[in-house]
Amino acid sequence: MNSPWPWICIAVAVLLALFLPPFLPPGLDDFATRLSTLVLVAVSWNMMASAGLISLGHSGFWGVGAYTAALLANSIHLPFWLSIVPGMLLGAFFGVGLAYITGRLRGLFFAIATLAMSEALRVVALMVPKLTGGAEGVFVFDAIRPERTTLTSFALCLSVATVALSYFLAKSRYQFAFRAMRDGESAVQMLGVNPVRFRAGVTALSGAIASCAGVISAWYTGYLDPGSAFDLKVTIAAQIAPLFGGLYTVAGPVLGSAAILTVSELTRLHFGYSAGVGLLAYGVILVFGVLFMPAGIVGLSKRWFGRYTRRRKTRVSQP
Amino acid sequence: MIASLARKAFRYEGFGYDVMSLLLQILVDALLLGGVYTLMAVGLSLAFGVTRIINFAHGEVLMFGAYAAFFAFAGLKLDPLLSLPFVAVLGAAGGYLLFKSSIERILDDAGINQVLLTFGIGLVLQNVAVILWTGDERSAIPSYAFDSWFLSDDVVVAKGRLIAFGIAAAFMLALLAWLRWSELGRATRAVSQNRAAASLMGINVHAIYALSFALSSAFGAATGAIMSFLLPITPFMGFPILVKAFAIIILGGLDSIIGTVLGAFFLAITETAIAYLVPDGIGWAEGVAFFLLVLMLIVRPTGILGSAERDA
Repeated sequence: MNSPWPWICIAVAVLLALFLPPFLPPGLDDFATRLSTLVLVAVSWNMMASAGLISLGHSGFWGVGAYTAALLANSIHLPFWLSIVPGMLLGAFFGVGLAYITGRLRGLFFAIATLAMSEALRVVALMVPKLTGGAEGVFVFDAIRPERTTLTSFALCLSVATVALSYFLAKSRYQFAFRAMRDGESAVQMLGVNPVRFRAGVTALSGAIASCAGVISAWYTGYLDPGSAFDLKVTIAAQIAPLFGGLYTVAGPVLGSAAILTVSELTRLHFGYSAGVGLLAYGVILVFGVLFMPAGIVGLSKRWFGRYTRRRKTRVSQP
Repeated sequence: MIASLARKAFRYEGFGYDVMSLLLQILVDALLLGGVYTLMAVGLSLAFGVTRIINFAHGEVLMFGAYAAFFAFAGLKLDPLLSLPFVAVLGAAGGYLLFKSSIERILDDAGINQVLLTFGIGLVLQNVAVILWTGDERSAIPSYAFDSWFLSDDVVVAKGRLIAFGIAAAFMLALLAWLRWSELGRATRAVSQNRAAASLMGINVHAIYALSFALSSAFGAATGAIMSFLLPITPFMGFPILVKAFAIIILGGLDSIIGTVLGAFFLAITETAIAYLVPDGIGWAEGVAFFLLVLMLIVRPTGILGSAERDA
């Protein structure tokens, strides 16, 4: 906290986010926006996972954010930068609701409950067409949609802020609470943290961040329907990125997001838009990651780096 | 609920329906649906009871079973009922391979790895199906698929669903008898109750794990073969079925076979009643499983007959 370096890094990243997008070629511009929404959901998923809560419902938060932005834009012409406020509030609300509904459920049971929540939200979005436009979907009011580059800057800034937040959380005393939550809620109580409130706080924060990504995507694509807003692909990407990058770390979700987005772009370039190949690649990464690379890219690089330093140390100690 | 039911019933009476036929029709449909639902969820519950791992790829096993039955029907002109035993054996082999190649490695890992691994396997299987067979809908249409009997003037029994119910009941009785009376079945129950004690009794726990996964997949594939003449077959059919199966086993209490049966019939009755009695009911019925699941978690997280501790 006392070192100035984190703040300098954040400042540089924000400046880059603000001034770089207009100079990016169109393809890269699109990549940057999608990368930042992916980083948002990945960091948010990793935050829950760090507390021992496996979410399979991040597409639910995403959809809540996306619908909030789109419906408020159409009804009261709420501009994009303001729409993240109700989007995130509603996401946080659903997060808290989830925490209280699931009570003391852990692991598997929590995962299934989140999956059910997101699917239930999709059915509601489909069956209440008066509010959401139903299966036909809804177009975001075009006149107030921002320029692409503005939106890219905005998205990048938000993802920088989120990564910074997760960094400071990981440096704060809450890191111990997170680690204790992974072991069991009684362990958290030993630390003097109220597990129920801590869990509600984590899911609220995580839900707000994931909704934020949904808000950006609604403005970016300009069109929503229940199938795309509550798409399971969001959940899949949100869990693969931290796993591939390195679970429970700050850098993991960011590295993982960049890696899997690159993989999906490459498969798309190579195989065109033929269905299934991109998701097959995700599935293979997921299986491979769990079986052979449980610590992800961060873990691998640490091991290599560690081996390197250890070897140097032994060499020094030998006279 | 009762008030709205009565209101609907009176409205139907105006169109020449009478209340009794409507209720009877709901009951018949729910009963037939419940049989298939039981078969669909029991594999999941069996594998969970023994290994404490939920197989998120179970829906995809079912989907492959449906495709196998479809290709046997389209290519070899083999009725799904005839190909069903072969499909089930193939499913058992697939489940065994799946367990030996991947799931066995993560038996003692944290829960997150088990969820992510089986989820990933499901994703791979689904997209292999998309690449091999595209997303087009297919359906096996034997002669009985659209046939039905009239119980009375207004009450219809779909023949395909009745056959499906019969098969499901036979499979369930066989499973219960096997668990109750056979040596391996007793061993399976022992492992499900207490791993350590079972291992002290000289039971090869890992072999029982593999067996239960194979059996679970066999049930999944058999359900798929039945579904091949009830539902359109697509690579994406597995996921909604999986979520319904989750709802059923959570309703029933996860590791109890009888609980699974109760859960399946409860879900079937609720879905059917909503489909008949609520405006736009067929769309809402698709969501009933999720609402029931969430409701059950709030009201009674151990399920109707559950003994599973929730910290798994």
